[in-house]
Amino acid sequence: MGSVMTKSADVTLLEVLDRVLDKGVVISGDMVISVADVDLIYLGLKVLLSSVETMEQLRGSPFAGPMQEAR
Amino acid sequence: MVEEKQLTYLYCVTDREPKLEQTEALHNDLYYVHREGLYAVAGRVEELEFGEEGLRKNMTDFHWAKSKASAHEMIIERVMTDTDVIPFRFGTLFSTDDSLEGMLGQYGDEFKAILRRLANKQEWGLKIYCDPEKLKAGFLGGEERILKIEDEIKTSSVGKAYFLKKRKDALLERALNETIDACSRESFELLKALSFEARINRLLPKEVTEREEDMVLNAAFLVGKAEANDFLATADTLKMHYENDGLVIDCTGPWPPYNFCGLSTTEGQNG
Repeated sequence: MGSVMTKSADVTLLEVLDRVLDKGVVISGDMVISVADVDLIYLGLKVLLSSVETMEQLRGSPFAGPMQEAR
Repeated sequence: MVEEKQLTYLYCVTDREPKLEQTEALHNDLYYVHREGLYAVAGRVEELEFGEEGLRKNMTDFHWAKSKASAHEMIIERVMTDTDVIPFRFGTLFSTDDSLEGMLGQYGDEFKAILRRLANKQEWGLKIYCDPEKLKAGFLGGEERILKIEDEIKTSSVGKAYFLKKRKDALLERALNETIDACSRESFELLKALSFEARINRLLPKEVTEREEDMVLNAAFLVGKAEANDFLATADTLKMHYENDGLVIDCTGPWPPYNFCGLSTTEGQNG
């Protein structure tokens, strides 16, 4: 059971960053920082968004339904 | 010496009193703020490090971001071992505990509704990567139309061979995309059928994944604890089925439900 799971430290770090910096509840209100400003600085990769869009365009959009669900 | 100002860093919210002694190894001053049946697990951080200016600067330091993001995750995972949690995004900061308590009051009903919806469920992640060359090599051995063109190329004039090769490359590209789509679709749909909710996230480029292969699917699933074994067995079957074709299926978890705890009022900001 569970042999499918990846245990390698690097993969796990990617998984952590993909969630912790990009997902999770964001609230506004009496906060010192709006984290939305910070996640674009994530790993110094402002290119991230533009390159992702390019990849999706190249491959077409096979998941019209769930894509809309997600974002 | 002037005492440095501290901020309140929020990790997660739960509706059962969290057992924080388990997490002491990671963070010495974890505590919770309690209000009307909800517990917010928090810690104190220095404003110099986590204040607006400090955070901006520190987030460009990969080692800092890596260690703090990992600590954020580990603290939430420890709390998650006894109870369901609503995980907050990295760097959710309050000026004081009072303002955190005020936020618990303001969003209390929504948090309770989210926790009811998440009860006894876990998040699992699915990422699929593709090695295009390996996948294409597979087609060269199996696709009849492509094999036929290969034969024709050998016996054709230079000019004709050039056009045949172009056609072969186009066929390969199409077969590649079809196989990627079929694998992504099949994996997503099969696992979605075993989940309460599923979502597809944006793909991460190689600069982030640091892998040779391209990411072709990045999905998250909210799975009942009772269904987790079936879910994993299915992911395992898919992985074995596709691994020789140049498609790598990575299933990870259980994670705190980062992808499934959006507040209705802040949907625009959550992702």
